[in-house]
Amino acid sequence: MSSASAALDSDRPLAAAAQTPRVRRRRQWWPYGYMAPVLVVLGVVFGYSFVEVVHYSFYAGSIGSLVWVGTANYRELASDPQFIHSMFNNFKLLLTVPIVTVLALAIALMINTTFRGVRQYRAILFLPYILPATAMGLSFSYLLQGNGVLDNLLTTMHLRFLIHDWLGSPSWVMFSIGGVIVWQQLGFGVVVFSAALLAVPGETVEAARIDGASWWVVQRRILIPQIRRIIEFFVILQAIIVLSSVFTYVYVLTGGGPAYSSSVMEFYIYQNGFSNGSIGIASAGAVVLLAVSSVFIALYLWVRIRAAKEGR
Amino acid sequence: MKSTYSSTRLSRPRSRFAMKAISGLCVGAMGLALAVVPAATQASASSKTNINFWFWGESDIPGITKWMTQRIALYEKANPGVAITVVPQSNTTIISSFTLASQSKSGGPDIDTQWATLPTLLPALQGDVTPISNYVPSSETKHWLNTNENTIAGKIYAMPLYLIGVPLVWNKKLFAKAGLNPNVGPKTWTQFLADCAALKKHGITPLGMGNQDGYFGAWMFAIYEKQLLNSVAQLTQGVANVGSSQAKLLSSLKTMYTMLSGLIKSGYVNSNVESLSLNQGWQLFPQSKAAMSFTTDGNALSWAKTVGEKNVGVTAPPVWGSGKLAATYDTTQSSDEFLASWSSNKAAAAKFLAFLHTPANMVALNKETGAFPADNRFPSSNITDPLAKALDKLDTAGTSVWLENDIPPQIDSNADLPAGQLITSGSGTPAAAVALWKQQLQKWQLEQPTQFQLFKKWATG
Repeated sequence: MSSASAALDSDRPLAAAAQTPRVRRRRQWWPYGYMAPVLVVLGVVFGYSFVEVVHYSFYAGSIGSLVWVGTANYRELASDPQFIHSMFNNFKLLLTVPIVTVLALAIALMINTTFRGVRQYRAILFLPYILPATAMGLSFSYLLQGNGVLDNLLTTMHLRFLIHDWLGSPSWVMFSIGGVIVWQQLGFGVVVFSAALLAVPGETVEAARIDGASWWVVQRRILIPQIRRIIEFFVILQAIIVLSSVFTYVYVLTGGGPAYSSSVMEFYIYQNGFSNGSIGIASAGAVVLLAVSSVFIALYLWVRIRAAKEGR
Repeated sequence: MKSTYSSTRLSRPRSRFAMKAISGLCVGAMGLALAVVPAATQASASSKTNINFWFWGESDIPGITKWMTQRIALYEKANPGVAITVVPQSNTTIISSFTLASQSKSGGPDIDTQWATLPTLLPALQGDVTPISNYVPSSETKHWLNTNENTIAGKIYAMPLYLIGVPLVWNKKLFAKAGLNPNVGPKTWTQFLADCAALKKHGITPLGMGNQDGYFGAWMFAIYEKQLLNSVAQLTQGVANVGSSQAKLLSSLKTMYTMLSGLIKSGYVNSNVESLSLNQGWQLFPQSKAAMSFTTDGNALSWAKTVGEKNVGVTAPPVWGSGKLAATYDTTQSSDEFLASWSSNKAAAAKFLAFLHTPANMVALNKETGAFPADNRFPSSNITDPLAKALDKLDTAGTSVWLENDIPPQIDSNADLPAGQLITSGSGTPAAAVALWKQQLQKWQLEQPTQFQLFKKWATG
């Protein structure tokens, strides 16, 4: 082929394009119309609320008698032993995250097989997660109170040395609340990991078994690495939950007591904002809680973006 | 090959038009519903005067909710144009619910129940409560008892419904089992400690209470901190930080918490006091698991039905302090009913409240619940039960002060309650309890400057 004809051939697409009129896609505005109501609601509910909370955090008093105090609320939070203790209690509850994750993963791996009643087992394990938190809290308050059901059971089993005032002792109260959180969140973790394990290609496991891999090797080297992303998401989600969604447990089980020993940041905000009407300090606490939670939310988004990139 | 996009149904003009038309109809229907439904509701609502009544009282007087429901039914029958909705309140929400409602000044109650004095008067000072004496004539209010607990500058802000005393009850059977005189309750602190020691020696829990919600500690403050004071002003001015009064108040609090700590360490209070609420701790007495309890008149009468009236003794709390107020008893109206200032049905609500005080209703209150009506038209001769007579005698014998009424709600919930928990849980010392009071008093002053100034003005007269 001559260079001239080659040059001509290479110019052909350009020539074709030059001859064909450009098709301009008309912008579709209709989808935005469908989205508009939702965006307005989100803007009002989240955006307006956020702006108002930040606004109130610079005032003292109740609504109707607000007094501008600048950053005094934030300085007060930094020196308020109840708030600092509440924040540390939230961090202490982060210890439940690895416990829930490991237990849920272990159970999911154990029931990741077909045997009679496996669906019923999964349903029973998931049941605590769907129980109303209030009813569960009331039940556990009777179970865990001093000389309550658990203590009586320990006495019957001649284990009196294990008896404690599980909810009335500042040394044990956070462990008790953590235990209730683990009990309720465990089912959710089992379901999430079970669903992830079901999605793992069976051929991979079969191939490993044919190669002589033991059960433990299959779990450790095949299944767990395959669901690594799900485990990461679950850990971060649980961390966000114990930072910002444990109010009900504390409110029902202990009311923040004894003497603030089981207070968490949400409870502090509730007590100051709703019980005392001190909207300013409560708003400042809410802003701090959002800042702390944002660290984990940012981590969650980073993990998702990384997973999406690796999936391409 | 034809583009799949060009073959989709939505690309056809007729279908696009149909989708837009359907969507437009849906939005229009929603808008119409939103416009019509509230109007229809308003139309049906405007035919009756709706009174929203946030009511609390069952913890004080078992059975009073049923009595109130019956009064409402009677009132609505006699006044068909009025509909009253009762919203029961709990110990933990009684103050916070009204605080929240008062901030938006919309919705919420027409009539609210609050604990007497400061839980009622602080909202009143902030303009959230309209004096009931604006609507009920003095010819009626002159019959109400203990109105001084909710009066400012001659205006009565709230209506009392009943009076309760806070006696010490003892189980005569358990006293006899411990070798104590079953017919004599402890009058002095020395006698009280001796009785506790004897009961404990025989394996009987001396005092059955609950402090998971902080109320046992709060009651000990109300009964025994009071006994260290010569006047209520010593407390209120201490809270308002007038002169050196706060230092003196904190010093007396340390003395009181030291006494409470001694009771706990001696094992004279049930060991699970910190994991039982006040109501739960109270159940130890009727179950005969504790020999004594501080409780209300209503509970004492109710427990007598379980334990047997001849097995229950009542007396004033043993005297421990040496202040002038040590000679007073602990009767209070406890809770009261008032009109929310933003209510659009104040006149109708006040009329209903006055109806509750008719002699027939007061007699029914006593007959059905054993409560002592806060009305001087109620004849004491109606009280025939011997135990009730003994309680009535305690309630009316002399002057009464319930000290917890005179501290601001924020100080009560943030200092009084948790300070007692520090002691009963064994996690804090009396010094730590007092430090908590001091810290919370300062915090309240910073967080609620307007409220603090109003309180200071009220405390200093």
